[in-house]
Amino acid sequence: MTDSDNQLSCNLNSACDCVHVLSSMVEVMGHRVGLSDKEINRMVLAVDEMFANIAQHGYQGREGRVDMAASLQGDALSFELRDYAPPLLKDEMLDWPRQSEAGDDDITPGGLGMHLMRAVMDKIEHESLADGNRWRLIKYLDGEQENEA
Amino acid sequence: MKLEIIETKQDGDAICLALKGVMNIHTAVDFRRQLKPLLENAKQHIHVDLSDVSFIDSAGLATLVEGLQWSRAAEGRHFVLSGLCDRVRDIFELAKLDTVFEIEEGSKA
Repeated sequence: MTDSDNQLSCNLNSACDCVHVLSSMVEVMGHRVGLSDKEINRMVLAVDEMFANIAQHGYQGREGRVDMAASLQGDALSFELRDYAPPLLKDEMLDWPRQSEAGDDDITPGGLGMHLMRAVMDKIEHESLADGNRWRLIKYLDGEQENEA
Repeated sequence: MKLEIIETKQDGDAICLALKGVMNIHTAVDFRRQLKPLLENAKQHIHVDLSDVSFIDSAGLATLVEGLQWSRAAEGRHFVLSGLCDRVRDIFELAKLDTVFEIEEGSKA
């Protein structure tokens, strides 16, 4: 793991149970920027969901490398996850069905995870690369940005 | 990180389970495997105490939703959750599942 004032980064194996590693990174960055425990817990959830999506749908349960970087740029707290799985089509994962107001009846695999990420973060970005995918979860600390995801 | 059933109590048609750990994509699979026979054995009342569960994600929620669906499949069945800490309750609220599940305050198992 590397650490500077505004950035933390590490490499993970998609097959490992990394929630404690992810939690630690999110907690450190969250505390540095003065987020509440509740907000930090929500961001831990969002990052966990993205990591789980990469492991389950990107790598299909097989082992694979995931690079994670948490950084603060201006008022944007960003969690970037880079995988080396087959590149997804643009927004393939981000377009998964959203949970309806009806409750549990419409929950679909992947759909609930995306719903939770959208509920927590201000922006979710995906970039297809030649050898994988880059995912960015962004939270604007001034709280005035619209939820675009 | 793991998820354990730390206590199981059976009383007639009711069974109470107390869980400890985190419920995520890695741990929910095993819990689902343990929950399945309980659901198949047609207990009328299943109570899950989450007092010692510190984190839950969509995979954990999906496993509990299976219990909810079991309870809705026949008259008289109850699938009850209790002991949600603030962090876990907040995630239920984000998922809009806090009003869908039968959730009791405090723990019972």
